[in-house]
Amino acid sequence: MSQEEDYVLLESSDGYTFVVSRKIAEASGTLKSMLDEEANFEEAKNKTCKIQQRGVILLKVIEYLAYKVQYAEFNAEDIKEDFSDRIDPYIALELLTAADFLEA
Amino acid sequence: MAMSMGAARRGKPKIRPPKRPTSETPIKDTWTKLANAIREIQNHNASKLSYEEHYRYGYNMVLHKHGDQLYNGVKALIAEYLDRLAEEKIVPTFPRSGGTRGAGKLGGGAEAIERALEGDRFLKAVKSAWEDHTGSMRKIRDILKYMDKGYSFANGLPLIYDVGLTLFLSHIIRSSKHPIHTHLISTLLSQVQLERDGETITRSTIRECTDILLRLNVPEREGGKTVYVTDFEPEFLKRSAEFYGLEAIEELEKGDAAQYLRRVERRLAEEADRTVHYLSTTTHPALQELLIANLLTPHLQTILDMPGSGLVVMLDSDRIADLRRLYSLYLKVPRDAGKTSLRAALRLDIEERGKNVNEGSSIEAGPSTIDQDDDQAEGKGKGKEKEKVKSAPTNNALSSALKWVQDVLDLKDKFDNILDSAFMGDKQVQVSINEAFQSFINANPRAPEYLSLFIDENLKKGTKAKSDSEIESALEKTIVLFRFLLDKDKFERYYKNHLARRLLYARSASDDSEKQMVTKLKMEMGFQFTQKLEGMFTDMRLSNESANTFRNYLNRHGALPIDLSVNVLTASYWPQPIVATNTCTFPTALQPAMETFQRYYDSRHSGRRLTWQGNLGTADVKVRFKNRSHDLNLSTHALVVLLLFEDVKSGENLSYPEIKSLTDLPDSDLIRTLQSLACAKFRVLTKIPKGRDINPNDKFEFNENFTSPLARIKIMQIASKVENSKEREETQEMVDEERKHQVEACIVRIMKDRKIMSHNDLISEVAHQLSTRFSPSMSLIKKRIEGLIDREYLERTDDMGSYRYLA
Repeated sequence: MSQEEDYVLLESSDGYTFVVSRKIAEASGTLKSMLDEEANFEEAKNKTCKIQQRGVILLKVIEYLAYKVQYAEFNAEDIKEDFSDRIDPYIALELLTAADFLEA
Repeated sequence: MAMSMGAARRGKPKIRPPKRPTSETPIKDTWTKLANAIREIQNHNASKLSYEEHYRYGYNMVLHKHGDQLYNGVKALIAEYLDRLAEEKIVPTFPRSGGTRGAGKLGGGAEAIERALEGDRFLKAVKSAWEDHTGSMRKIRDILKYMDKGYSFANGLPLIYDVGLTLFLSHIIRSSKHPIHTHLISTLLSQVQLERDGETITRSTIRECTDILLRLNVPEREGGKTVYVTDFEPEFLKRSAEFYGLEAIEELEKGDAAQYLRRVERRLAEEADRTVHYLSTTTHPALQELLIANLLTPHLQTILDMPGSGLVVMLDSDRIADLRRLYSLYLKVPRDAGKTSLRAALRLDIEERGKNVNEGSSIEAGPSTIDQDDDQAEGKGKGKEKEKVKSAPTNNALSSALKWVQDVLDLKDKFDNILDSAFMGDKQVQVSINEAFQSFINANPRAPEYLSLFIDENLKKGTKAKSDSEIESALEKTIVLFRFLLDKDKFERYYKNHLARRLLYARSASDDSEKQMVTKLKMEMGFQFTQKLEGMFTDMRLSNESANTFRNYLNRHGALPIDLSVNVLTASYWPQPIVATNTCTFPTALQPAMETFQRYYDSRHSGRRLTWQGNLGTADVKVRFKNRSHDLNLSTHALVVLLLFEDVKSGENLSYPEIKSLTDLPDSDLIRTLQSLACAKFRVLTKIPKGRDINPNDKFEFNENFTSPLARIKIMQIASKVENSKEREETQEMVDEERKHQVEACIVRIMKDRKIMSHNDLISEVAHQLSTRFSPSMSLIKKRIEGLIDREYLERTDDMGSYRYLA
């Protein structure tokens, strides 16, 4: 199974679901362990992760993970756009706890 | 997004505090759930569990400051699980006998196989416990990732996975409840032992168990190294040492060195293989060292000396493979002990062989194998070289000289070959071999003479059809032997003699080879050594050139009754015996020609004195016998003698004293000449009474009845090729005399430079400077110093220990 075509489902606490490429999902340490096929937890078996966060938070998290993957190979000074510009202060704190939980 | 940013800018944005991660469930329930989950994981049921859920439990417990409860609880769970594993999986597979066996063989056949299987089963159980444990530990680590991050790390505690490893060590490997440790180590050892005894074992299982031991570290207070290094390795090495110590003795008793070495080599390879395949490569150096220390180091000499299969036999039959093995194994012995003993043994062996060669050449009495000059074919076959017969040109002596050189060369070839192919051209071994050669070659006092004879034999034409390249290689080899010679000045003397003969009798096979040889000597010894030899060549060349001008001279002044060609030799270049003043009354038939040449020579060079040397020339003369005429080619002396008989009527004879007074030849030359005429193959003179030796009261008569199928007969001077003892004494005297001068010259040279020098320094410096030519004895140097003091070149200083140079 090619990594590129492999997608997983992320589900928020308020019922939103996101189809995310495995590569982007695994940029989060917690999600990576969760989806580890060798350990084979329930999530890995079903390729579905239920995240106890609101959809809007999860969306931002996924957006950040994509950003992280995109610039993974860049030098810090070459990155022009700053992700913090994209963060709504209203959700900043909630996002912070989610990041801590997800090792993002 | 733009709208919300705008709102933020308008001020007083109301930021909602994030929902506190309050757990709906109390901590106690959380822990119970988590503990159950961990048990499930340990029972391989992870797929039924939600990672997110249990990760969140761990997360919550840490956030709510229950990290210690979580950490210790998990630890207890793991310990409990491990105890169960030990109880259920490992203990039932304990092999029947514990680690009570020693290093001895573990019985054979079915029992051994049984043991191998039992051990394997036990190790497999340990291994599977390990795999279960590490598998579940990986999952537990994943789930409790937040704990590692937020609690263990923050509080300086080991991460949960490492805790798992430590627990495995304390609850399984070093379990206090079950004797797993003893069984494990002894089983591993006995498996190895079984394999050493030739049984088949499952290597992969052992590999996995040693891997476990390598992965686990003992606590800091015990050194913090791996269990493998702490618990297994020392025991393993101890057992191996015992085993191989015994094996060495057992195998040596079989008394076959080559086989023993093969076994050692195999053992080394086996153990190397073992460390790679199922032990740790870190054990490799220690193990190899141990093998060598037990199998080789104490037995070096025993192996070399083993009768019937030791070094001597290997060398005898050129068993290159065995020798190479011997060398490479001995090389491994620490502190060069192996190489040293090998070198010593080689040296002894070569010296022994050399001694045989030396003895062989002096007792050799078999029939001549080398057919040299035709007129000597029936020479003194029985003559032993030590006989007092003055002219004892024994073929035997010559052939034994040649044989000696050939034997030495063969020996050298043999050892060169062995050195290259078996000892990898080792420089130190080469030094030992060379030392041995040097010592036995110089033990033969006649080595310089033999060597020169050998070269003579190769450079002389007509001996054997040899190609240039054969001659070249023979000469190349003799140069190698030449290097071993200490008395190089003695060799020079012989070489000059032999070269003079070759040049004057025009017997050199090729000028090129001659010059090559001289060049080689020059390269070895420097310009001075060959100066005189080159002078000899120059003389010959000049004489050839002057032959032409002499012919022109004759054309102008009237021809001679006979053809005359003269070699003019510079006295100082040629060997003393050849240019020594020699009395000879030349018959009148020859006088005019000689006088003409004398006039010719005086006209070209003034102030040079010409002495006629009859002993080195040859003459062609036509002699009429009863049946027919023959052309005889003979030496000038023989011609002088033969011409006496021109005036003697047939039936009359001349006595030895008459001949002597008429020719004025010295006894030794005359006897030799008469022998060649009357006692050799072609007897143009008849001796009365008949016999081989010439006595002063013999009479000689022209042999008119001489017949021979050949029209042209060559009568060679019987020249003793090998010196007899008297000549050798003379040579030695001359050499000694020359050495005196050399030593004196050397002392003066040194003292001129240093002015004052202590006795010991002077002696060692002289010995050093002369060592390229010969090795002067202490007493010789001392005597020369005395001599120089007497002649006031030197004086003793006041403190008696030193000398001062007096200019």
